[in-house]
Amino acid sequence: MSTCPRCQAAEEKIRVEHKGLNAQGELVWTIFHCNACEFTWRDSEPAISIDYDTREAFFRVDPEKPYPVIMPPAQYK
Amino acid sequence: MSTDKKPLSATARAVGERIGSLRDFIEFLEENGQCITWTNEIMPEPDVRNIAVAAGRDSMNGPAVIFNNIAGYPGKKLVLGVHGSFTNLALLLGHPKGTTIKELFYDIISRWGDDKPLLDFIEPEAAPVNENRLTDNFNLYDLLPLYRINEYDGGFYIGKANVVSRDPRDPDNFGKQNVGIYRIQVQAPGEFTLLSIPAHDMGRHIMAAEQEGVPLKISVMLGNHPAMCMFAATPVGYEESEFAYASQMMGSPLRLTKSGNGMDILADSEMIIEAELMNGVRTFEGPFGEFPGSYSGVRKIPRFKVTAISHRNDPIFENIYIGRGWTEHDTLIGLNTSAPIYAQLIKDFPEVVAVNALYQHGLTGVISVKNRFAGFAKSVAMRALGTPHGTMYLKNLIMVDDDVDPFDLNEVMWALSTRTRADDTIVIPNMPLIPIDPGAEVAGKGHRLIIDATSFMPPDKLGSDSKIVTPPAGPEIDEIAKVIQLLQNGVNS
Ligand SMILES: [Zn+2]
Repeated sequence: MSTCPRCQAAEEKIRVEHKGLNAQGELVWTIFHCNACEFTWRDSEPAISIDYDTREAFFRVDPEKPYPVIMPPAQYK
Repeated sequence: MSTDKKPLSATARAVGERIGSLRDFIEFLEENGQCITWTNEIMPEPDVRNIAVAAGRDSMNGPAVIFNNIAGYPGKKLVLGVHGSFTNLALLLGHPKGTTIKELFYDIISRWGDDKPLLDFIEPEAAPVNENRLTDNFNLYDLLPLYRINEYDGGFYIGKANVVSRDPRDPDNFGKQNVGIYRIQVQAPGEFTLLSIPAHDMGRHIMAAEQEGVPLKISVMLGNHPAMCMFAATPVGYEESEFAYASQMMGSPLRLTKSGNGMDILADSEMIIEAELMNGVRTFEGPFGEFPGSYSGVRKIPRFKVTAISHRNDPIFENIYIGRGWTEHDTLIGLNTSAPIYAQLIKDFPEVVAVNALYQHGLTGVISVKNRFAGFAKSVAMRALGTPHGTMYLKNLIMVDDDVDPFDLNEVMWALSTRTRADDTIVIPNMPLIPIDPGAEVAGKGHRLIIDATSFMPPDKLGSDSKIVTPPAGPEIDEIAKVIQLLQNGVNS
């Protein structure tokens, strides 16, 4: 595990979600989740999904930037 | 809303009685060669999406696919493409393989309605979905063989859940209970986001709960009766019940029970995830490869917390491949999108013969109509744009005569080639349009196009000196075509 494949958040922002085992109980893959951009991935996926440099730049996310909010809760206040 | 009913055939009644759940339907599809099992070991990515896309290439006859050997998910079962072909829908409605889309359209029309619901209520203790009940330590990643549907999706999606919610201000009203398909992204072992917009019933319920500061409880039904999925994706009126429509279409009772958090749910579904809205929380969601064939972007959307999970023994996770069409999404919702537009049009214009809104949820529609007088088809087109679905979806409308089957694109192209004048097209600028349309200049607004490909009528003189060839047509020829198909497939008729 290193940084987030989508937003490059540092290791401490990434949590382990689940480990997939085979019938013998051996580790097959691990699912990770980024607390900064909420990306979820499995370490066995093709590079196009989980390698920052292979992924199309279009799909990068900068969690600091504003994104559209669906039904903004502030509208009720 | 309802249409003129015809009694169901004996076969249709028998199929309706036999199929009470996803499991029953899978078994029925297997018997009819319309469901295969992929037994070789596969990786969740990219294998599931690769196989789903390959199986879905044949929109008429493609099979459902069961996966029972996914690495890291021993013992877990996943099924895709249950609604992936028109033949699968034909079997559900008691028709043989080779049934045309137009025949299915008329059959669905004749079953359409909610005035005669067939709903049986059973005690929760007797419901198969309650064979197992979890009340803490939820882990959706472990319970379901989750995977990334398209390579740039923001996470692992549940794309075929039927979500039940009630108006949080009127929780005892059965009619105001909504069942809809909303995309769900798993965000944590026991939490997920659910995408809805203010125009959806669920969107109304979310806003009402947050405005009033009251809890919004939902039940997410997974692995459902195949008719339920078709109506969860159908725009029915706010006070109409999707359960009622689904049962009436099957002509056979659906078994309902109560979920732990008070919703009416299908007693025979594979899994029910009970959850509660996290009031005021918005979480990054997306991208997700959607039905127009493009990714919808990253947004911050409402988030839910799982409160309990019920499931059958060895639950089957039913999901969908969705992306650039043709996909299971198109087959699942196409006819149920077309039927209500037709039912609304014939009230004012009985000359309307059929409505094809199969393409991208009706972004392009083809309507067949018998012209009453010159220009009549354009008036019908305007009315179609004013139907509830047409208001947001019917972007391109092609009007054809009653002698053209709107579901047969060869015939539609013939009408376009021979009956269209360039000045018989209308562009209506700056109309409302679903925000998801990738062709929009501004999301949520767009232009409408009407192409009148109907023939000319007096007082229009154009084309009056040409006569159309009348090739043999009708039920007799349709029957011969089916015989030829059987002979070609090596079946003795
Ligand atoms: Zn990230």
